[in-house]
Amino acid sequence: MIAASLRGSEPDADRVAALAPIVVLVIGALLQAGSIPHWCVGVVLVASLWRIGVVAGRLPVSSRARGVRIGFAIAALLSMLAVFASFRTLNGLAAGSALLSIMGALKLLETRTARDERVVIGVALFLLLAACLSNQTLLRTPLYLVHAWLACAALALVTLRTPGFGARAALGVAGRALLFATPIALVFFLFFPRVTGQFWALPTNATATTGLGEEMAPGTIDRLIENYEPAFRVRFLTAPPPAAERYWRGPVLTQFDGLTWRRAPGTAYREPPTALLGDPVRQQITLEPSNRRWWFALESVRASPRRDVFMTQDRQLVSADPINEAVSYEVDSHLRLQTLGELSPLARRVATRLPAERNPRTLAFARELREQYADDAAFADAMLDYFRRHGFEYSLEPPRTSIDSVDDFLFGSKLGFCGHFASAFATVMRAGGVPARIVTGYLGGEWNPIGGYLIVRHSDAHAWTEVWLAGRGWVRIDPTAVVEPGRLDRGLIDLLPDSVSAPTRFLHRSRWLSKWVLTWDGVNHWWRKRVLEFDLRQQLALLERLGLGDAGWRGLGILLAAGFAMWMLVIAFSLRHLVVRTKPDRLAQLWREFCTTAATLAPARAPAEAPLAFAIRLTVARPDLAALIRAVTEQYAAIRYGRPCADNLAAAARLRELEIAVRSFARSVAPR
Amino acid sequence: MLSALRRSLAARIARWVKTRQGDDHPPLELLARRIYILPTRAGAAFGMLLFLMLLAGLNYANSLALFLTFLLGGFAIVGMHLTHRNLLGLRVIAIATTDGFSGESGRVIVTIANAADSARPLITAQLAGERPARLDIAAGTMPRFEMTLPLRSRGLIPIGRIRIATRYPFGLFEAWTWLHTSAAIAAYPAPRGRLDPPAEARAGGEAQALHRAGDDELSALRPFRDGDSPRQIAWRAYARGGDLLVKEYESPAGQFFVFDLAHVSNLATEAALEQLALWVVGAHARGERFGLQLGSNAIAPADGLEQRDRCLRALALYGTTERNA
Repeated sequence: MIAASLRGSEPDADRVAALAPIVVLVIGALLQAGSIPHWCVGVVLVASLWRIGVVAGRLPVSSRARGVRIGFAIAALLSMLAVFASFRTLNGLAAGSALLSIMGALKLLETRTARDERVVIGVALFLLLAACLSNQTLLRTPLYLVHAWLACAALALVTLRTPGFGARAALGVAGRALLFATPIALVFFLFFPRVTGQFWALPTNATATTGLGEEMAPGTIDRLIENYEPAFRVRFLTAPPPAAERYWRGPVLTQFDGLTWRRAPGTAYREPPTALLGDPVRQQITLEPSNRRWWFALESVRASPRRDVFMTQDRQLVSADPINEAVSYEVDSHLRLQTLGELSPLARRVATRLPAERNPRTLAFARELREQYADDAAFADAMLDYFRRHGFEYSLEPPRTSIDSVDDFLFGSKLGFCGHFASAFATVMRAGGVPARIVTGYLGGEWNPIGGYLIVRHSDAHAWTEVWLAGRGWVRIDPTAVVEPGRLDRGLIDLLPDSVSAPTRFLHRSRWLSKWVLTWDGVNHWWRKRVLEFDLRQQLALLERLGLGDAGWRGLGILLAAGFAMWMLVIAFSLRHLVVRTKPDRLAQLWREFCTTAATLAPARAPAEAPLAFAIRLTVARPDLAALIRAVTEQYAAIRYGRPCADNLAAAARLRELEIAVRSFARSVAPR
Repeated sequence: MLSALRRSLAARIARWVKTRQGDDHPPLELLARRIYILPTRAGAAFGMLLFLMLLAGLNYANSLALFLTFLLGGFAIVGMHLTHRNLLGLRVIAIATTDGFSGESGRVIVTIANAADSARPLITAQLAGERPARLDIAAGTMPRFEMTLPLRSRGLIPIGRIRIATRYPFGLFEAWTWLHTSAAIAAYPAPRGRLDPPAEARAGGEAQALHRAGDDELSALRPFRDGDSPRQIAWRAYARGGDLLVKEYESPAGQFFVFDLAHVSNLATEAALEQLALWVVGAHARGERFGLQLGSNAIAPADGLEQRDRCLRALALYGTTERNA
């Protein structure tokens, strides 16, 4: 019955108004499609189709019966459970928006009034907020703006419900309102004080970790080389170091089981103090979220850039929490350093520990070599020389190794990636009693001339070694560089043999494509630095540039208020112009004139007295003027209360007639 | 308790508005001084949503969320201006009323002109306690809001204040204005009763009856007016393609009725007035001349719709303080 009445009487305006919230909700759910389970989007789509069916009159609108309401309550509970089952929590951005989208879908099913429709639009706006929080790339931003626009237009449609006021008119009025709102938004964006620190923290959902891990086995780093995604970007605030010195230090691995190098959870010894030599290189680094705890910097970093990041004894930067959003920091690094002491016996023991039963041939080989070279440095050089002389080759596709990985590499394939060389070198050094460890990180990077910064990609991942030399301390030795010197100043991609399928190599090879990629990266980086990371610090810097350097918070407040007030004036003024000022009402003027003249003949017209009643009173007082009185009052009543004139010309003519009548009345009264 | 408090507050505000604005005499223009504006319930909810978005944006130091929040906030502010503007500059041309019988309803007609060259959609006019009438006023037009006011008892019913309001365009704000008018609707006594007009009501000179022969003689045709009986319409003339004309009969010259409250003195006041109303309606329907005598208040005999309304109005006002209104 309800459906029938809907079909019969619902005018088009109502139908458009009913469809608008559906569109907005569906787009809101799709914007979040990346972070909420697919079945949530499915639920929204099904609910939307159902609602469309209701609006079209094909399906019944849900009844208000008690059973149906209980059904809705159960559905809400079930969906909450389902969300809980897939996230193991209801707290958190993704779980929250999944729940929100389902609630919106349920609301859609029981939508009856304009209020329900507004609630759905509100849910869609919350989904938009969640999308903003979870993905802020430049490409997505226009989508968000369009969605906001649609939601605003939906508000207008739901409110107006007028035939003739369709989607187009609603988009028009909402678009104009948003355009007028943009300066307000910009003023607030620039000058609204950015409070730092979190009021509450929602657990961010665990996304996949990328980049270097806690351990390195043969093949670990090979897996990264096809990942063309940036790991971080670096702007040098001082002169950049030469390409061969661009070692970005990551996890330092000290524990070896014959196959895998691992990072020690902590150290039980203190390393001797170190003197940092030369001028520091100052870098501004923007890390991509990796869900790891490593903060990268050039070797060797002087101090931790932030309070929540600490520097380990082996000069690695580690934070307590994984990096799940882009962070930016400035650090100083020194390219050279020198120890001021000697390694403690405990430290030396840890740094030379090897599993006794693994890689037996390597251990024997190392002992043999060590007998020829007593000096630590000479021993290391001899090993590098061995790599150079015995046909070792750098390969991105090394063969698989057994558990005695170093034996397999040194005396088997002789074909390896940086990890193999580093692992083998460190093992030989340790077997020879020289403290050695593996450092993983990145090497090099691509210079972006458009943005003026260095992009370091995951494909630049690298592993090298450090050995302790008495009097010098930990010295970096990169055995890969001995075999493949090109790796130092060229990207890894250039070294890839043709047989290797690196999809992004194509991008890299085509010159204009790679230029385009760099430009896009530059724009994105600007977006990130200037817009997404706009914070109190940048606000204060902006104040300084505006000449309000020391005003601080007060300055922000003043600019905020002034900008806002100015634009409000503009709005008030421009809207006033849109309202056509009515000319002084000629008709009312003439009538007032007549009444004033007439007041000399009879008691003045009472405010509520009708014109014709007044006319009768006047006629009684001055029967000789009856014709004129009648002419004026009837013409006045006809213009004021009668049928409006078809065109302006006729209206003007009628007004003119009235004027003549009023004037002649005044003349006839005057002589007496 | 709370609702009583609310009511007293509302009454106090209403009084304040009344003293601030004074009585209104159309034509008048809706100027900023008399336009009030507040967020609607939806607007308050929208504000809450913006506050949460602001918190989230600040919490996560998320520029995009903050920009979105500020953009939507600006949008609401611009919407507020648009709402205000939608009422600003409208002209209230006239407030007219039509009387009615008690138990039925009277009408209040507000004529509003939009001289601007932009449309004024979603304007509502509302009498206190009644359903609002809604209009979309196109540019350069002068439509009329028609509201009905149920007449629950006989007498002069003041229409109270009229609320002209709009929520255009986004429903987040409502702008409104009050029209205070002294206009009132006369609620006629419901025409009912079982008595026939007494013989002594028939009056007038047989002496002048010589002037006219015949009982009901067609004397003239005049244009149709609201309230004319369809039986009086000159259908033949209409069928020939003319205007809708009404045959005016003149009853035998000089013969008329004078209905006197004294004729029904045996009835209670209200019942008596209802009986008189019935007689007046009947006499008018038959096209007779009639007058009314209500104590000292006499209405000279005449005929026509105006006479009917005059008599019914006198009946409506009988015994009320505003007898002479």
